[in-house]
Amino acid sequence: MADKHKPDTDRSFFSEILSPSELFAARSRSHKIPIRGQKDFFPNDSEEQRQRLEQSLNEHWSLISEERVERLGNLVRAKWIPGDQIVELQSPAGKFWQTMGFSSDGKQFLLPEEALYLMECGNLQVFHRDLPLSIQDGYERFLSPNTLRLQQYQVFGHLKRLGYVVHRFDPSSEPSSYARRLNLPQSRDRAGRQLKRKRSASPTPSCSRSEAPEESTTERMEDDKPRHDGEEEKTVPESQLTASSEAPSVQAATTSTAEERRGRSWWMTEDLKHKASVHCPPSASSHWDFSTVPFPDLGGRLSGCLASPDPSLLPGALAVGVCDVAAWKGRINLRKVKMSAKERNREKEVCRRRRDINKDREVQQCSNWADYKKLLAKRQGRRKGRPEHLWNREVAPLHDPRQPLPTGELLDKISVLKSTNLLEGASRLKGSDEWKICFNVYQPDTVADFKKSNPGKPYSRMCVCSFDDPVPDLRAIKLLASQSGDVPVVIAVVDHGDISFYTFKDFQLPKDVYP
Amino acid sequence: MATEGVEKTSEDVPAAGKVSNRFDLEKETELRFEVEAGEAAEQVELELLTGMAEVFGSELNRNKKYTFGPGSKIAVFTWQGCSVNLYGKPEVAYVSKDTPMLLYLNTHAALEQMRKQAERDNERGPRVMVVGPTDVGKSTVCRLLLSYAVRVGRRPTLVELDVGQSGVSVPGTVSALCIERPADVEEGFSVQAPLVYHFGSTTPGTNIKLYNKLTSCLAEVFSQRCEVNRKASVGGCIINTCGWVKGSGYQALVHCASAFQVDVVLVLDHERLYNELKRDLPHFVRVVLLPKSGGVVERSKECRRDARDEKIREYFYGFRGSSYYPFSYEVRFSDVRIYKIGAPSIPDSCLPLGMSQDDTQLKLVPVTPGRDLTYHVLSVSSAEDGEEGARKGIVESPVCGFIVVTYVDTQTQVMKVLSPAPRPLPRHTLLIMDIRFMDMK
Repeated sequence: MADKHKPDTDRSFFSEILSPSELFAARSRSHKIPIRGQKDFFPNDSEEQRQRLEQSLNEHWSLISEERVERLGNLVRAKWIPGDQIVELQSPAGKFWQTMGFSSDGKQFLLPEEALYLMECGNLQVFHRDLPLSIQDGYERFLSPNTLRLQQYQVFGHLKRLGYVVHRFDPSSEPSSYARRLNLPQSRDRAGRQLKRKRSASPTPSCSRSEAPEESTTERMEDDKPRHDGEEEKTVPESQLTASSEAPSVQAATTSTAEERRGRSWWMTEDLKHKASVHCPPSASSHWDFSTVPFPDLGGRLSGCLASPDPSLLPGALAVGVCDVAAWKGRINLRKVKMSAKERNREKEVCRRRRDINKDREVQQCSNWADYKKLLAKRQGRRKGRPEHLWNREVAPLHDPRQPLPTGELLDKISVLKSTNLLEGASRLKGSDEWKICFNVYQPDTVADFKKSNPGKPYSRMCVCSFDDPVPDLRAIKLLASQSGDVPVVIAVVDHGDISFYTFKDFQLPKDVYP
Repeated sequence: MATEGVEKTSEDVPAAGKVSNRFDLEKETELRFEVEAGEAAEQVELELLTGMAEVFGSELNRNKKYTFGPGSKIAVFTWQGCSVNLYGKPEVAYVSKDTPMLLYLNTHAALEQMRKQAERDNERGPRVMVVGPTDVGKSTVCRLLLSYAVRVGRRPTLVELDVGQSGVSVPGTVSALCIERPADVEEGFSVQAPLVYHFGSTTPGTNIKLYNKLTSCLAEVFSQRCEVNRKASVGGCIINTCGWVKGSGYQALVHCASAFQVDVVLVLDHERLYNELKRDLPHFVRVVLLPKSGGVVERSKECRRDARDEKIREYFYGFRGSSYYPFSYEVRFSDVRIYKIGAPSIPDSCLPLGMSQDDTQLKLVPVTPGRDLTYHVLSVSSAEDGEEGARKGIVESPVCGFIVVTYVDTQTQVMKVLSPAPRPLPRHTLLIMDIRFMDMK
């Protein structure tokens, strides 16, 4: 990093005036930046390599230690305001004002990263307590968790040097997904002005941190709206349904929502008192002891009289007498079923093959339908040659090979991970602190007619992370995508000094099946 | 117990020109009467004068006149003794002491005991299947047991699997209905929000695979309901079945028992069926043989057809054709998709590899609208109007209503339909039934 002052000079710091010869020497100095050339991958302990390395390092050091000479008239004076973490201009701004800075209360301000970049460019001199700040001071004072981190500044500086217009990303100025869906006209300049006022009012211009929670809640609230909207849309056809089924004889099997409207539901649940116990009924156990439940079974070994039933079980607390079963037994229909010869033969065949299933020991052990069905399924499975050990566990195969399916459907069935769209379900995600969009980036060719008050749609949005950070997960990517809307999000990965850019895009996996 | 003191009969109520007959019933006897069938037949009115009496489990109010239309076959039963008046000329009217009501009541008591136990042990209530040949009074026994259960405060579910003579919806459907009050003496159970599935024919034999599939669907839905509604779970269900008890019909009964996981099977007046079910159902299912009532009348084919027609008319026009006013409008062919469930069977050798005959019976076959569509009853499926992919769910989707095609114009590609609700159709997937209905009255 170029340092403007040698610490060992005993001359006055800021009014260092060069003699003409010194000035001339500075002018005629080579302005070339040393070329880095190819990297060596491996130290091979050779003298040649060592020398090359040393030379390259020396070049860099000499470049950095070189005294920078600027024309005083070119330097814009500015004052660092630590309380607000911004820089106030004290002399008229230069050309940079077209794309940087903001004004408020008739004063002109620069954000710290902008000031630092301009200092590095030799366009700005920042004073603090009437002393000029060195670039090193600038790095130390301007970059903090409240403003920007070093990595973010590195990305900022890199993009600026490439000519892009880079602004901080302000989530509040983005239309919410709801507004986007409604296709609301963007009230850009109003939002921009608000932005300025906000900055002057609140001492921290870095709205990203202090206002983020508030922003996210409003955004979420707005996000709720489209969902309600969607529900309403959904109920429309059902109200038609109700209308149709309500009119005459209510014979229509209506869907549950339609019934709810009528106040009665097929799914109507009981009061909460019952609800607690609802979840536990083991639905299929046979808990009946039929020896204690007196059914008037005429086919059974019932004889004599049936005792009169308990009046508490009867409607209207009827009291009835005993019932003579024997008299009824004689009257049951014993007549032969009329069958054709063919039917009779078939019946005989069936009778021969079939025996009482209850003579089967395994069936006898079943005490309820669930057991019995399991037994039947097991037997059937055995017969059909489905490997039982695969199917009787909690994790069963995805597809039963006995059921034929077209290949396309089969592929659908066995695709466990469903593909997802970047914006799918993203509006419902809650914001996280880990991943944030830092900058709006505008293309260099728009600089000529760029307006800070109405910057238009950015070319892309920048998200900064370190090379050591984990790769963003799907949730984070979705979140970023939904925040950004239709502007692509680029992730700048900073590996010390090197910056590489990545972006995630939707694409469809190819399918090899043609229906 | 004969009533005393009421001497005056017809002088009291001068019903306009109608003959009045007074009957005094002893305890545990019933008055059976039939109203003449046919267009010109006179309605018969019934009034309870003293004591208490019930019609198929629903109690009569004293001094209220109940009207029964042509073809009605009614039994007024009393536990304590009563006297009733009949106005009009019934075809037959006699008092019988010979009724199995006491057995049915005992059956109810046993079921109620099971419900009490279920309530106490937090289990599910009894699921009862009523089986038997045709004309033994299955529907009446169901109605009786349901009415009794409701009267002791239960909320049982009626599962109607009799596609020929559905007590809940139009014929050709299977349905489930939760019962919350005893049946109306004249109209039967109040039909509110039933769950109805399209079957499409009046005998299960036309597509037994579909019949079994729908049985399973109903069982599934009922089980889900039991899980969320404790009261319904304790109330259990009573399943009314078809009178077809041989061959595939019998298999369908066994399948139904297994699908619903029934606890009790009531066999009405068919010992052979009783023995077969004892053999083919696991031991933890109680099979009970019950006699039929002597009052059950055999119905002729014509009688059944008329009853079906009446049921469809009731759907569109309300009970006795007075309460509802259906709409008639035109539907363009291009707006609807009409299907028939079940393709005609093909020899196995002609089927694609790996496909079995079962698949064709549940397949949806598109029907090209034509003149032969006239008078057919169509079910409006509640399946979402989707593209081809959504077709799979249509068979298992409940029905949201029925329409009848009254006129087809092939020239302009429209058909005129009779619909309970004004246009538009709530859904555009229609399933055709074999059943026709001519709106003649």
